Amino acid sequence: MPDSGFPWPIETTRLDNGLRVVVSEDRTAPAVAVNLWYDVGSRHEPAGQTGFAHLFEHLMFEGSVNVAKTEHMKLIQGAGGSLNATTNPDRTNYFETVPAEHLELALWLEADRMGGLVPALTQETLDNQRDVVKNERRQRYENVPYGDAWLRLLPLLYPPGHPYHHATIGSMADLNAADLATFQEFHSTYYAPNNAVLTVVGDTDAAEVFALADKYFGGLAARADIPAAPDGRTVPATGRPAVETVTADVPAPRVYVAHRTHPFGTQGYDVTTVLGTVLGSGRGSRLYQRLADGERIAQPDLVGAYGVDLAHAPAPLIATATARPGVSAERLRDGLAEVVDELATVPVTAAELDRAKALLSTMWWRQMSTVDGRADTLGRYATQFGDPARAADRLPAWLAVTAEQIAEQAAELLGAADRVILTYLPEEN
Amino acid sequence: MSLITTRPGPGAARAYRFPQVVRRTAAGGQVVAAHLPGQNLAVALLLLDGGAGREPVGKEGLGAVLAKALEEGTAQRDATAYALAIEALGTELATGLDWDSFQVSVQVPVDRLTAAVELLAEAVRTPRLDPADVLRVRDDEATALRMDWANPGPRADAVLRAELFGAQHRWGRPLYGDPDSVAALEVDDVTVFHSEWFIRPGTLVVAGDLERIDLDALAATAFAGAGGGPVERGGPVEVPLAGQRRIILVDRPGSVQSTLRLGHPSPHRAHPDHVPMTLAGTVLGGAFTSRLNHLIREVRGYTYGIRGDFASSRRFGRFAVSSGVQTAVTAPALVESVGEVSRTQLTGVTEDELEVARSWRAGQLSVELQSPRAIAAALSTLVVHDLPDDYHARLREQLLAATVEDVSAAAATYLHPESLTMVIEGDAAVVRDELVASGLGEVVDHT
Repeated sequence: MPDSGFPWPIETTRLDNGLRVVVSEDRTAPAVAVNLWYDVGSRHEPAGQTGFAHLFEHLMFEGSVNVAKTEHMKLIQGAGGSLNATTNPDRTNYFETVPAEHLELALWLEADRMGGLVPALTQETLDNQRDVVKNERRQRYENVPYGDAWLRLLPLLYPPGHPYHHATIGSMADLNAADLATFQEFHSTYYAPNNAVLTVVGDTDAAEVFALADKYFGGLAARADIPAAPDGRTVPATGRPAVETVTADVPAPRVYVAHRTHPFGTQGYDVTTVLGTVLGSGRGSRLYQRLADGERIAQPDLVGAYGVDLAHAPAPLIATATARPGVSAERLRDGLAEVVDELATVPVTAAELDRAKALLSTMWWRQMSTVDGRADTLGRYATQFGDPARAADRLPAWLAVTAEQIAEQAAELLGAADRVILTYLPEEN
Repeated sequence: MSLITTRPGPGAARAYRFPQVVRRTAAGGQVVAAHLPGQNLAVALLLLDGGAGREPVGKEGLGAVLAKALEEGTAQRDATAYALAIEALGTELATGLDWDSFQVSVQVPVDRLTAAVELLAEAVRTPRLDPADVLRVRDDEATALRMDWANPGPRADAVLRAELFGAQHRWGRPLYGDPDSVAALEVDDVTVFHSEWFIRPGTLVVAGDLERIDLDALAATAFAGAGGGPVERGGPVEVPLAGQRRIILVDRPGSVQSTLRLGHPSPHRAHPDHVPMTLAGTVLGGAFTSRLNHLIREVRGYTYGIRGDFASSRRFGRFAVSSGVQTAVTAPALVESVGEVSRTQLTGVTEDELEVARSWRAGQLSVELQSPRAIAAALSTLVVHDLPDDYHARLREQLLAATVEDVSAAAATYLHPESLTMVIEGDAAVVRDELVASGLGEVVDHT
């Protein structure tokens, strides 16, 4: 059993303006990963401004004071690099992996859009990216069967006013209603050096990165009054399940069962992670064995369970199954609920536990096998827990979870009264 | 606020390194391995000459059904015991299929590799293939394809492929088959395909820290009980270009987007112009900064993304553009996409664009080849296409040396805007008139 999930060096510093810098040297390949976590996500969006954090992620690629529109992509790809960005309820991350000789270019680009985006943001750019985001919504959520499941689950799991109540993609009406000044204000508020973590992993060293970080980011001003997101740690129990049934153009009945668990990073959520793997990861999982193989009521490729790793409120655990031909939604729903219920009553065996831990170990080392995977992990732990070195604790914490803890959590949190059930039914032809 | 206004130049370039490649013949099969010192994770992949190109016409989906059936129990244990045994090592049995090969692999912490390869070989060489299980897997796979075909894309892809290559050929039909072809498969089809292609030794590909891996022991495990030699793989096939442009409309009532699939045939993988041709594809549609994405997404806002590329296998290739665009702008998006293909074919690429394309493709050979899984895939390319150990280093040099003249000539030669087949999957009643009015070509309804 490993003592550490992160057997590489970690060095950190903090610039005078509050930017935290994390470096992990690894000379194995001639590449460096540059990663920025901004502590702003859709949980920060007030009513009427949903979708802003994500639209902003798009705008960050559209030019800043010293970088022309679309030049960011061109320069990184022209340097041989890969890049992207993602937004979720908790945070926004930006990352590129480049051949090591282009480290300085990547840092210059990131500094320019951290400190110099607002003067370059035009109405034309805003309008164009609003259209792109609407197309993203169509492609990901509206034009595919079951595509809106996540959009429906969140408001069932979290009440109005909770920071996770609305989905990150947001409301198109909110995006349409906002003017340029509102977006400029959003950037000024959240894209400050003291609200970010810069992580660099790969073919470089701490002295070089610290000096370059100071050179490019050191001149940016801190912002004193960054507003916190609403506190979502406590979600009042309603005492009854939240049930929604949707009739839509889908090829077969599908059921989602969801529960609120613990925030990512807590011991309770480590139990959730192992529990979710026992329940729904792989052919040896309980859901596969019972519903796909045993009773054969679920389609084998579409049965599973997973936790969504959110850190600022009790995170969701989601189990799902899709009916085999001839199986009713009711039967599938009962079957799925029964397997979840049994986590509290039928003890997890040593073999089940070992299987789950082995799969999680491989998953962890797969994330650690690339410089970009490591950089994102360190950025997460620095942002959410104040110390990148805590990344080393996660794998040992999973491996320490016991069958008793799983049964206790199932009894405490996975009961029928705390359950969200979302069912899709095919339209009658 | 103060920002540094001057863009920094590159530092000292690092030498390019692809991991050291080790090849050997052992236990009656070939082993190709890459040494990744210090890497905790390892991948072993058995590469078999049992790709979709080996499936008889009318039996599409055979390999995909067999892939699932491998896990329904072996000579030694039933399906549940097999799942528990392999997942207890931290891996699932990953299967993959393309036109040229069938791949089965495991990914585990390096100290579990030997045990994982034992289970891999057990499933590949000695699956139980009980008739009742095979029929159930077949039915499940047909259902899974029906589910997948409810999404936009698979129908359009199938229509384009049939138009380009002809449905009388295996390569004119979908890679994984369609719901009907899978539903029609019989138990004997599966068992015969297994005995024909899954007992031959194949090639064992390994990516990991070779100081902690015994390649000879892995080979002995992977090739135990295997037999039979290689089989002639067939040369490149001649695929004629269409005489005219055509629009084929695949109806998807109520669709909020139209799925665009445009294409024509292109050369096979070993063609000498492979590098300049794929660079032309990169400039036109292969990168975020490419012409198509710049115009259709960044300027027009018609789409979340659009790409165009040349893809090739041992025997054939195709150029294709794919996107999903808002229904209301289907016709203008199509007209402008075809316009970019024509412009690139007629006037070639610029040095500015090519500089990005070649640096990007060359840099990706460092940036994207890090994980054991990615390295194993790169080794598989060497095996399938008979390429030398220093292929990636040489490819990098060829990419960096490609000139505007080379790439423009390839664009002129291998892009055929007048022969494009344009498949549009969307709300036909809404988009048909505008497509007819676009004048791009005859509009026919797919039935």
